[in-house]
Amino acid sequence: MSRATPPIADVGRRIDGRVRALSSALRPQPLEELREWGGARLVRGKRVLDLGCGDGRFALGVAPYAASVEGLDPDTQAIATARKLARESGVRNVHFAAGAAQQLPYPGAAFDVVVLSWTL
Amino acid sequence: MVDALEEIHRVLAPRGILVDARPDSRVPTLAELRKQRSFQRYGLIGTHKLELTMDRSSDLAIAEVVRNGLFRRRRAGRFFYRVPFETLADLREYLWEHGRFMRRVKWVVDAKTRRLHANEPFAMRRGVRFEILERLSRDQR
Repeated sequence: MSRATPPIADVGRRIDGRVRALSSALRPQPLEELREWGGARLVRGKRVLDLGCGDGRFALGVAPYAASVEGLDPDTQAIATARKLARESGVRNVHFAAGAAQQLPYPGAAFDVVVLSWTL
Repeated sequence: MVDALEEIHRVLAPRGILVDARPDSRVPTLAELRKQRSFQRYGLIGTHKLELTMDRSSDLAIAEVVRNGLFRRRRAGRFFYRVPFETLADLREYLWEHGRFMRRVKWVVDAKTRRLHANEPFAMRRGVRFEILERLSRDQR
């Protein structure tokens, strides 16, 4: 049986030699999720906060449509990975920070859209 | 969770949008054999009791902030996607590592059929639920 794309589970394997059960690579693609929520118009030209951004999967995926994207996650290792991925992909309107959702390090009314993707 | 939602309300602009998306434990996750043009159901994968409790807590937190007039529900929905695996053993390994799911699959095909196709590609079909909420200001409540 021929397959056009490699199984997503293989992506995890390539990372550390085994299936990474919690890897964001096993989640729906960001644009697939965005389409289900109503399409790119939901974030087009908007200031977006991706809360619980993990390795930046969703934040980096929607960055081409948004005015700016902030990613916040308590996992500092995941934030380091997200920053590395952002550098590698050359995306300039995304910033990542470590922090908790209960005390957001942003001023009031700073965002037009807040996304809790697999977070709450 | 409610305190986090209150913080989100603070940082959102008036009429700003909150998207809450997460795995949907109200619909069964399926283990499927991938065929040339279709998928055959092989089993049902249960969600761990602790995860069901956490899902319920999230639902209650959303309900509370809606009740308190911080947000208004605008739209909700559900979609499905498939996680592909090379073999049945890979799928089982994934279930073993993933805290969300029960490790034991409730099979709907017999053991002989499973053994026969064990080295063929499998997939897990998951449901994802989402809700779009709008931030309400004091004068909108």
